[in-house]
Amino acid sequence: MSALGGAAAGGDGINPTGTAVGIVILLVSIAATYALGFSIIPLIGIIVGGALIGFGVHFVPVGGAPAAMGQAPGIATGVAMLAAGAGLAGLFGGAWAYEATGDFAIAVVGGAVGGGLMMAITCLMVNATYVFAMGIPAASGKVDKDPITGDTFPAYKSQGTEGHGLPFISFFGGVVGGFITGLGGTLIYIELLDVYHAALPTIMQADPAAIEPLAVSLAGIFAIGFFLVNAVLAAYNITGTIEGPHDPKFKRVPRAVIGCAVASAFCGFISMLILVNTGM
Amino acid sequence: MEEIVLGIGITALAGALATVAGAAEDTESDIGSQGDPNSQVQLAPQMGYIHRIFNKAISGEPPAYGAWCVIGAGVAWALMQINFNPALAIILGSAIAVFVQGIYCTSGYLGRTASLAKFQQPVYIDIIKSLTSVTMAHAFVAIFCTVAMCYLMASALHHPFALPLLGLVWGIALGAAGSATGNPFYGKERQYQNQKFGAGVPISASGNIVRYAEAGQRSSLDNGWFTTKFAGPASGICFGLIVFLELWRTVLFEKLMSGWGAIIMGIVLILIFTFIDRWIEVWGRKTYGPYVTEEASS
Repeated sequence: MSALGGAAAGGDGINPTGTAVGIVILLVSIAATYALGFSIIPLIGIIVGGALIGFGVHFVPVGGAPAAMGQAPGIATGVAMLAAGAGLAGLFGGAWAYEATGDFAIAVVGGAVGGGLMMAITCLMVNATYVFAMGIPAASGKVDKDPITGDTFPAYKSQGTEGHGLPFISFFGGVVGGFITGLGGTLIYIELLDVYHAALPTIMQADPAAIEPLAVSLAGIFAIGFFLVNAVLAAYNITGTIEGPHDPKFKRVPRAVIGCAVASAFCGFISMLILVNTGM
Repeated sequence: MEEIVLGIGITALAGALATVAGAAEDTESDIGSQGDPNSQVQLAPQMGYIHRIFNKAISGEPPAYGAWCVIGAGVAWALMQINFNPALAIILGSAIAVFVQGIYCTSGYLGRTASLAKFQQPVYIDIIKSLTSVTMAHAFVAIFCTVAMCYLMASALHHPFALPLLGLVWGIALGAAGSATGNPFYGKERQYQNQKFGAGVPISASGNIVRYAEAGQRSSLDNGWFTTKFAGPASGICFGLIVFLELWRTVLFEKLMSGWGAIIMGIVLILIFTFIDRWIEVWGRKTYGPYVTEEASS
């Protein structure tokens, strides 16, 4: 049932027709990239990065407006924006590490840790606010018992609410979500940066060192764009609020992963089109 | 060694700027009612509760601050390209961004409140006159501190991103940290001050926000006065910690173990915060105990 009394829309399943159309778009994007003379390895990296962002967003406990009144558990802001905030903090760290070390693994893991750290601090401050300023202990509305700590919740839930605060499983989900979205975003950034590094000097007939700031900026802007595309898609899949990995809505993850992979494939193709030398 | 000492100094300064930015951001969003709790400000007239609270949820705080900080950083960057002094460029960039914010505030209040006309909610011109400038002043502090912090990252710490890109990244992160930490305090503790302390607001009470102050009707300025007691500083600490620790672990530990040092330190920090969070959760459960209804407690 929805809040308005109608039947619940959406559901958890995968639409076969939609999935088939999506896979066709994905394959066409890969084929078109190949046909234009680009390697498809960066595009595969972008697709994986996008799918990781879509996957990671589902871990982030987001309560939206009800959480701001202590009516539902989670962080009191929007799904897409919180995930983007965490992922972009990770992207900041990952891009910096790649600049300093040039090591793919360090940059990607560095981005992941940056996202996880941002979420750990944010979730901690949310709990500090609920407990120390509002006097409200954490209580999940979706499960009776915390899967990690074993804490029980029904007795702690305020009357007339769906729970409040951030139980430990939600904190854990937030950190894991920040970690995965930071990883995915940094992966996209590095793949794009390598492509632009290789192709821009030839197209613009300029020294690679002179092109460096342009390549970094383009890769950064596109990586932020990919973040928002995938985070918003995942938010549509979540429809409103989610408590974390223990929430029944988490079962919708496969649908988001497919959707984000398809969107990333097409957007990745577009991000490489700017490198096509039309001779104009 | 000298480079590391300079890096630590810049890290501390950036952390301090971020703390001020976070506090100003949350106070601005509470006075202007920008975040998720504004759903109740919008809902109240529909439930028959006419009020004098500012109502300007233009968008979520993260994209709003992403836009304003990127405008500030972009203008500052452009001015620096034509050899303006960096301090002057950042001030001018932030001032221009704040005018954009002010325009959004005005149109946001007028549009949102006018849409409530059929519920007899008036548009109060004195609210626009007295509160828009207050939100603009707070937004200026938040944008200026964020852009200055980004400038330090780009020029002194040599982050590869250009200043406008850093403005976008940290503007979105600023909004995310400020709204996550500050919204519950403004939403539950202030708007629903008439509800029981230590419990969530029952869904049935939605829309019945507190509309009267000690004398006369409550103004959004009163909300800013209240939320600066906790939500503002807490948001500042949140954003300040994010910025400071992200820079600190990189500046100090990046050279260790060929780059893995910063990652290990990041994981250690996450574990420390996890431990503190669990301690807070257990402390809350033990101190406050299970929920007790009024009938049961009397």
